[in-house]
Amino acid sequence: MTQQNRLQSGGRIERNKPLTFSYNGKHYKGFEGDTLASAMLANGIDVVGRSFKYSRPRGIVAAGPEEPNAVLQLGATEATQVPNVRATQQELFDGLVSNATNGWPNADMDLMGYVGKVGGRMMPPGFYYKTFMYPQSMWESYEKFIRKAAGLGRSPLENDPDTYDHLNQHADVMIVGAGPAGLSAALQAARSGARVLIADEQSEFGGSLLHSNELIDDKPAAQWVEETVAQLSKFSNVVMLPRSTVNGYHDHNFLTIHERCTDHIADKAPAGQVRQRLHRVRAKWVILATGAHERPLVFGHNDVPGVMVASAVSVYINRYAVAPGKELVLMTTNDGAYQTALDWAAAGRKVTAIVDTRANPQGDLVDAARAQGLNIITGSAVIDVQGSKRVSGVSVASIAEDGSRVTGSIQRLSCDTVASSGGWSPVIHLSCHTGSRPKWSDDVIGFLPGDTVQKQLTAGSINGEFGLKGCLAEGTRAGAQAAINAGFEADADAVPASAADVKTGPAMALFHIPHSQPTSRAPKQFVDFQNDVTAAGIELATREGFESIEHVKRYTAMGFGTDQGKLGNINGMAIAAKSLNQSIPETGTTIFRPNYTPITFGAIAGRHCGELFDPKRYSAMHKWHLENGAKFEDVGQWKRPWYFPKAGESMQDALNRECQATRESVGILDASTLGKIDIQGKDAREFLGRVYTNAWAKLAVGKCRYGLMCGEDGMVFDDGVTSCLGENHFLMTTTTGGAARVLEWLELYHQTEWPELEVYFNTVTDQWATLTVSGPNSRKLISELTDDIDLDRDSFKFMDWREGTVAGVPARIFRISFTGELSYEINVQANYGLHVWEKLFEAGEKYNLTPYGTETMHILRAEKGFIIAGQDTDGSVHPFDLGMGWCVAQKKPFSYIGKRGMAREDCVRPNRKQLVGLKTKDPQVVIPEGAQAVNDPNQPIPMTMLGHVTSSYYSACLGHSIAMGFVRDGLNRMGDTVYYPLADGTVIEAEICSPIFLDPKGERQNV
Amino acid sequence: MSEVIANNEVASAPVLIQQMDQLSSQGARAESPLYHADLASVAREGNQNGGVVLQEVALLGHLVLRGNINNAGFTSGVEKVLGMALPGSLQSAENGDVSLRWIAPDEWLLVVPGAQAFSIERELRDAMDGHIAIVNVSGGQTVLNLSGANARDVLMKSTGYDVHDRNFPVGKVVTTTFAKSQAVIRRTGEQSWELIIRRSFSDYLWLWLQDASAEFGLTVRT
Repeated sequence: MTQQNRLQSGGRIERNKPLTFSYNGKHYKGFEGDTLASAMLANGIDVVGRSFKYSRPRGIVAAGPEEPNAVLQLGATEATQVPNVRATQQELFDGLVSNATNGWPNADMDLMGYVGKVGGRMMPPGFYYKTFMYPQSMWESYEKFIRKAAGLGRSPLENDPDTYDHLNQHADVMIVGAGPAGLSAALQAARSGARVLIADEQSEFGGSLLHSNELIDDKPAAQWVEETVAQLSKFSNVVMLPRSTVNGYHDHNFLTIHERCTDHIADKAPAGQVRQRLHRVRAKWVILATGAHERPLVFGHNDVPGVMVASAVSVYINRYAVAPGKELVLMTTNDGAYQTALDWAAAGRKVTAIVDTRANPQGDLVDAARAQGLNIITGSAVIDVQGSKRVSGVSVASIAEDGSRVTGSIQRLSCDTVASSGGWSPVIHLSCHTGSRPKWSDDVIGFLPGDTVQKQLTAGSINGEFGLKGCLAEGTRAGAQAAINAGFEADADAVPASAADVKTGPAMALFHIPHSQPTSRAPKQFVDFQNDVTAAGIELATREGFESIEHVKRYTAMGFGTDQGKLGNINGMAIAAKSLNQSIPETGTTIFRPNYTPITFGAIAGRHCGELFDPKRYSAMHKWHLENGAKFEDVGQWKRPWYFPKAGESMQDALNRECQATRESVGILDASTLGKIDIQGKDAREFLGRVYTNAWAKLAVGKCRYGLMCGEDGMVFDDGVTSCLGENHFLMTTTTGGAARVLEWLELYHQTEWPELEVYFNTVTDQWATLTVSGPNSRKLISELTDDIDLDRDSFKFMDWREGTVAGVPARIFRISFTGELSYEINVQANYGLHVWEKLFEAGEKYNLTPYGTETMHILRAEKGFIIAGQDTDGSVHPFDLGMGWCVAQKKPFSYIGKRGMAREDCVRPNRKQLVGLKTKDPQVVIPEGAQAVNDPNQPIPMTMLGHVTSSYYSACLGHSIAMGFVRDGLNRMGDTVYYPLADGTVIEAEICSPIFLDPKGERQNV
Repeated sequence: MSEVIANNEVASAPVLIQQMDQLSSQGARAESPLYHADLASVAREGNQNGGVVLQEVALLGHLVLRGNINNAGFTSGVEKVLGMALPGSLQSAENGDVSLRWIAPDEWLLVVPGAQAFSIERELRDAMDGHIAIVNVSGGQTVLNLSGANARDVLMKSTGYDVHDRNFPVGKVVTTTFAKSQAVIRRTGEQSWELIIRRSFSDYLWLWLQDASAEFGLTVRT
């Protein structure tokens, strides 16, 4: 394939580095330095997609992020598919594979096009809302149809093979945009010594200067860019990020930058490299030098391929050496666009006409065009375009001075390219992200950044300063000012680089070109290409009563595409304003939210995916659990052994075996994950008395005690055993999931309520490995591994703790029991956890020492009626509801948290839900946890519910199911029958009983 | 051996704080938090010229010191035993193989050779007066040294704190978020940093550091 539109010389492309790419399966050539869009234009590809609603062929209209049509599907393999890539921002690389996104079945030959043409009239704005809303059950099928036809691209079906990450940046001065203003600012800020971060979305710095013919300091602009970048790179205090879009500007000068590190090399990053990075920037001062986007004009059939934004045509000619056509008609409301005609002529192509909507244009560029003898038709406009897949000509007519109507006859001109310019819209998106409302300027004919609460300056075209000289001056000033504001010394009067003064005449505020027919009958005049929103559609919306611009936007879908209305929104607002007979400031504008351009999910996720999605916390014995086939359960971030199945065992088989082995001989549990808090200080005991509901004044050194912790409302939120290590020294244990919250709770009360108490809290959760040995043979087993601890039942009693040596390792042993069996919790420094664990197994073989996990622990404790905070409590139950009034002290000298809460009227009323045991009539049936109790299963729905089941298991030791649950007034209803109707229509009958199913006298743990 | 037992023999002196030498005197096998990662093999067989160099300094003694900076009985005790003053906010201090880090207004972290944890704890308690606390956390955390030309890049990926020279000179110490966990980060040299991380998060952070270093190459040293 030849590149028929490629110019013989000029541009910033590397002609000696040819590249091959494919589009819709056909292969083409381009050069290094091309974007995909410039290469497509070079090859004469006119149609790059089909439109959303009418399926009209569309071509490339812009050269930057505002491009609405050239939104392609990229990727050579399934795994590297990327939807919705703007061809204008995608650098060409060798082997690039691209496809049209929304052609169905393809962009050139489109079935929908036929439907679209026939059905166009039937699809006014609001069509989808009106047509597809009902019946609601059909919405899913509608959505599939719409999505396919709408061309939103497709995501890959395979995992992304690339890596992404986040980088935290800090800067004194962050500069967004590296055009003339941004580069000038960077230079000043850099010289002050401030830490400068400058980012630009393009492949190289320079912004508009990369396609400019102007001179800076008497040198070509591109040379000034090169020298300035070289100068900046010598500063160690400057970080430069090309290919980096500042996508979000958040509170407190926090900005997010999407850097594409390897997207210009291949669709998969080279081995070992990160494909994209999200920079998270904290900046002291921010300079927005984001420039402006040229606004196209809205006129009949302005979407035919070959109709482009004027400056984009210049970009393709000057930067990429591509003239995207042969014969140009330029329509403009301002002087600036004359440059495009001059560039077109300089490329050796024919300028058919410059159609200026102004009656009497005056200015340097206008003079230059006149001097070249270009055909200038003043006081006129292009009111219609001919052609379907490519422009073949235009209709030009003279218009009224205010642009409101066509005044003369229509003349036809032949051309293949139409460039239009309605002026420039400052890129105020980032400013809007911070909540700043934009302000309309009649002078600029555009919205400017509004007042800001951020430490932010703006410079250049974003301020409506569209001349090069002004941009250089504003940038220089802003760079120095930002550095000074950030606490550095800079020259506030530094002289900016010089550029010529270009005299320009006044521009005309015109957005919507009139037609000889009323808008509703005129050829379609497109405002938003991505969503096929027309001028007629906006007028219809206002006629239907949508007056707020936000409503007009939602009703017409204007600005809803992946381009977020960068090209069309201002025109749409102007048309709505005109239709409502009000000014643009009265009509207002929609504002912009992050992200500025679409960002990949990979960049958002960074490295926080797969194995690193969330930390997995492990105990010191985890390796053993893995090697011994444990199934794991997530408890908070911890991976705890759930059960240890043997070959061929079902889960229930394993649980039955683990439970029975523990009750009959000895089992072992890794309880290291329990929260542990070391408490030291002379007021430690007093503090415990205030945060637990029970008494701690008399707990002697060497003793342990169970405690309940309540919130101010009297509701239980955590529980655990706390041991007295010394008069001023305690070790508190908490639930696994509650550890951090309990420590924060203690600190909160210490720091805010009782700072006078002398006590320090430190987490030691990770410090101690906890090995819980439980069962009738546990004493025998431990006695084999210690020779300095007297395990005699009368000297080392239940709820005592002792210090000594286990398996050669210093240990604390706590004789506490969560199973109801004789039980010892061995604590050793975690470095020794696995060693002691293995020694216990060596000695324990003859006792059939059986490891068990959290599920067996749950069953064993439920057989004893022990609660698990968070499972049997839910923040709405106090200790008396749990039948644990024995754990509430009535006569402590100082009050304690929850005491008053528990005394509230609602907490002492009768008929509260209370925790009871439940025995099913059929002993083999296990009630599902969460099932609701009712008195009469035959009552009409909705039934009166009495409370839910919180814990429910099959107990192999007892030979029947056991459950705990809440029942209204349950503690007074022992022996009553309640019913559990299930979703499948069956009903389980159960008798209310004590939750202590096994050994109610506690004889087993006291042996 | 046991302070409790020793104290119990003197019936008149009640045990106020239980002090315990947690090290095995019988040579029991001790495993640092990253023992399972077999860093020695990685060091032997892995990349030798990475831009990031990682080393676990295992099985040191870690003692948390709590006290009020206005309590001379606390501050002078530290100076007497350790031969250095408590470092001020965000600072660290070193004396030979003993190092002290400011953690919070009433908290410091002391790292000592593993075998000395208990003797230093005892000396400190003897030398201190007033409301203080010392907690041995040697089993609950580990020290990683992160160095190399790209060490700072890895830190920038991992923490929101500003690790630039101007904000993080040698000697500074910060306790902050690290990936989705936390670390005590201390700058120990031009290109070297010390991370103190919690045991239960160590595997996660080891995976994180491998991943974050991948583009620069990771060298493990023992």
